[in-house]
Amino acid sequence: MKQVIKGNHAVSHAVKLSRVKVISAYPITPQTTIVEALSEMCASGELDARFIKVESEHSAMAAVVGSASAGVRSFTATSSHGLLLMHEVLHWAAGARLPIVLTNVNRAVGPGWNIWADQTDSLSQRDTGWIQIYAESNQEVLDNVILAYRLAESVLLPVMLTYDAFYLSHTSEIVDIPDDRQVDAFLPEFRPPYRLDIDDPHMFGGMIGPDYYYEERYVMHRDALKVAELYPEICREFSGAFGREYDVLETYRTEDAALIIVAAGTITSVSRIAVDRLRSQAKTVGLMKLRMFRPVPVERWRHALGRAAKIVVIDRNLTAGLGGVFAAEIQAALYPLAKRPQIFPVVAGLGGRDVTPEDVCGMVERALSEEQAAAGPLFWGLKQ
Amino acid sequence: MKVVEKRSGQAKPYAIHTWRDFPPLNISRGNMLHNLTGSWRYIKPLYEDKVPACQNACPAGNDIEGWIRLLQQGEIAQAYWHLKREEPFPAVLGRVCFRFCEAACNRAPFDHRLGIRSLERFVGDRPAPAGDIPDLPPLHGKTLAVVGSGPAGMSAAYFARLLGFAVTIFEKEPVMGGLLRLGIPAYRLPRAVVAAEFAALEKMGIALRPETEIGVDIPLEALVRDFDYLFLASGSHASLKLRIEGEAHCRRIMSGLELLRRFAADEPPRLGKRVVVIGGGNTAVDAARTALRLGSEVMVVYRRSASEMPAHAEEVAQAQEEGVRFRFLAAPDRIELADDGSIRQLVCCEMQLGAPDAGGRRRPHRKPGAVFTVAADSILTAIGEAPRFDYLAGIAAAEKEGVPTDDGLRVVLQRCREAAIYAGGDIIDIPRTVVHAVAAGKRAAIAMDCRRRKEDVMRVLADIAIGTGGALSFARYTGRQPVPPVRRNLHKVVTKEQIVYDYFQKTPPVIEEIRAPADRMTSFTEDRRTFTVNQAEAEAQRCLHCGRCTECDNCLIFCPDMSVLKRPDRDFGYQVDFDYCKGCGICFAECPRGAITMVDEDQPIEASTARRETE
Repeated sequence: MKQVIKGNHAVSHAVKLSRVKVISAYPITPQTTIVEALSEMCASGELDARFIKVESEHSAMAAVVGSASAGVRSFTATSSHGLLLMHEVLHWAAGARLPIVLTNVNRAVGPGWNIWADQTDSLSQRDTGWIQIYAESNQEVLDNVILAYRLAESVLLPVMLTYDAFYLSHTSEIVDIPDDRQVDAFLPEFRPPYRLDIDDPHMFGGMIGPDYYYEERYVMHRDALKVAELYPEICREFSGAFGREYDVLETYRTEDAALIIVAAGTITSVSRIAVDRLRSQAKTVGLMKLRMFRPVPVERWRHALGRAAKIVVIDRNLTAGLGGVFAAEIQAALYPLAKRPQIFPVVAGLGGRDVTPEDVCGMVERALSEEQAAAGPLFWGLKQ
Repeated sequence: MKVVEKRSGQAKPYAIHTWRDFPPLNISRGNMLHNLTGSWRYIKPLYEDKVPACQNACPAGNDIEGWIRLLQQGEIAQAYWHLKREEPFPAVLGRVCFRFCEAACNRAPFDHRLGIRSLERFVGDRPAPAGDIPDLPPLHGKTLAVVGSGPAGMSAAYFARLLGFAVTIFEKEPVMGGLLRLGIPAYRLPRAVVAAEFAALEKMGIALRPETEIGVDIPLEALVRDFDYLFLASGSHASLKLRIEGEAHCRRIMSGLELLRRFAADEPPRLGKRVVVIGGGNTAVDAARTALRLGSEVMVVYRRSASEMPAHAEEVAQAQEEGVRFRFLAAPDRIELADDGSIRQLVCCEMQLGAPDAGGRRRPHRKPGAVFTVAADSILTAIGEAPRFDYLAGIAAAEKEGVPTDDGLRVVLQRCREAAIYAGGDIIDIPRTVVHAVAAGKRAAIAMDCRRRKEDVMRVLADIAIGTGGALSFARYTGRQPVPPVRRNLHKVVTKEQIVYDYFQKTPPVIEEIRAPADRMTSFTEDRRTFTVNQAEAEAQRCLHCGRCTECDNCLIFCPDMSVLKRPDRDFGYQVDFDYCKGCGICFAECPRGAITMVDEDQPIEASTARRETE
């Protein structure tokens, strides 16, 4: 059934369709309406789940760590500083191999106080062991939740789904909300291989010395690596059921592209317009949309980008003293290639500043006009 | 500590050679049932019901929480009989009690105290609870004569009959009830309510002998000869004189108590337009409000200030609402009389408060030279009453404070020293309230039964004492109370500090409807309305159940060791799995109502969980 809904409510619908059993959350702008709708669904009985009010995001994550440990499908949502407050428990959730799904509305980190789109919050959590997936549209936001539970429960790793503040969270788009029986068929009831069981009590997360800690982490890494192969399979099954195609990344007109733009989130949409515009000017430009950022689908990145001469990476995030996170990781991934593309990192749109198709065309033309990429990133639109 | 057979989860030895041998998460291979964490414990939880603050404050030891719980469950008839185990007259005390329980209620600092008296009245007013009093024992042959049919005498008769005594009540007035009938105005306590209590006593087989004054119609010695036990509860009727000039010859002066008595006997005196009441106690206020209802304008003259008044604040406030005027810090100096003995005017002097006296109240002194006059057609005196002891005929000494007794209320005798004579109510030195009189009757009945059974009275009384307030548990004494689902400690009182208020919601109290002052002051029909069923249920829900387990499951939910288990052997309560309980005390801390105690680990578990079957 198609409805015009905001990105936040796309999440609420998806959580309900996924038959989540425990929701724990602390409200934070701009994600508040996700859990507001969910709390109403729980109160009305429309959703048979326990909604736990907590006093902080740290507790919100701790509560779903508890419920997921007990073996029930669990969900929480947050944004920016809320996510940062969860940081300690995010590590625990991944290490304990709990298939929690979290949605994070990408929002700038203060100070100064800024509630607009920026991906620094989730990118600063990249080492927590969570799978990270970025979305471009409200439909994708909804579908990502359903896909995420399948993935998380298959590999026993938590999934963080992110999407841009306001551009998606509070913008209404047409979204096809699937039928619940369809979702039930795709996403069966969670049957945890490990859970807290008072009749068979085990010790979880106990002390472990230098002899074994290393191997334990390696096991987690190996399982994370499987995700890049498993996720496309899950997406193919999803496509068969729902008719919408997803993957760890998405390419647009890259087959013969001499220059490929790399972007995540809503900047991909404007980049797609820029590609068409540049193509109409006979410039062979393509686009790679980042979807999965952790684990890094290294081979897929290399395959998608390896043949281009130039790559423009647009980062709506900043790690001060380096530049954009995406650019750094793409550079690292492509470095072992014998024939490496020239990479032109661009930092743009921080704190919700608009990035228009004209901006993207400008970045591409600048890259095309330069023989050699500069040492550091280009700060596009900086007031000079 | 025993290890249960099935708990054989001990990890088998295993070897880890490569990373492939690791499970995906950090988890013990074998289960942990073998790890009896109970060995870490040095204190342990004990489910132990305690005495709620309300019951502790009740002189009669009313098990308020017990019957409110039944009320919550809609078991009104059961609530009635449960209530009457400890306190015999709910319809009476539900109207006139001074509510020591409510003043102590742990709910008070949270939102508003529980309306216990209103609930008790509701229970007492239920139309004829089905059947006779349960477990009325056969008579054992010993007889008891009760002198006086006021609340002390009624209570002693009731409890003594429950203990198998054959009881006769002697009353000098033609109507039964003493102070309840003649001293408390009908707008506070309708006559039918008192009459119904006596009908119930008669139904229990208690003989009533009205219009029989001991010392006049029958000498006390005759009672001593004819009865095995005596209980003296003749009350306090002799009003104290003002001892001022003009009093002796004044024809328009009478005691407040006399007014109440004559009105109750349907012989109301003519008071005239302007009535002055002297005194600040309950009799003064009752007399003032009665005079008001008889059509007079009333002024109460009291020598101290409002805050020192012994009268119940609620009654004072209602009198003021109805139009009774109060003149504080004033005392009568003399009555100036006309030739025919009527009052020309009352001369009063202004008073001021000095240092506190032995009772803690500031002592009033005359303000030199400050005199004023009050016009009055009648004067009612209510500065106190004294018991009359002339009928004792030297068998016992009467002192200023009353008849001396021991802790079991047995009278210290000067003659007939072997006689089993007990006393209670206003003739002994206890606070002059209905509930204290009822408590005295209960105490004396138990003490008489101890004597009959040749038990050590003092030891028994200490054993059945409730909390710190001195009330006695009749249920504990008779052992006829059903075994409570949880061990009950009669001596520990639950204070506010033990209540975890976070688990309760603020809820406005349900208040008994009271008629408007203008309506009240013109009639003697009752001024308050008994709760409806819905009101009673709503107010009963506000009870915190201090110190009494309600199976709220907080302990079970919060126990981090899954060591709180539902009792397998009965359908109420919990059992601690001491194989695993670490003694962390979270159950204790999260119990909303102080029904869990932490005790030393050295206290044997068997002893600490064993229940006393006599409870």
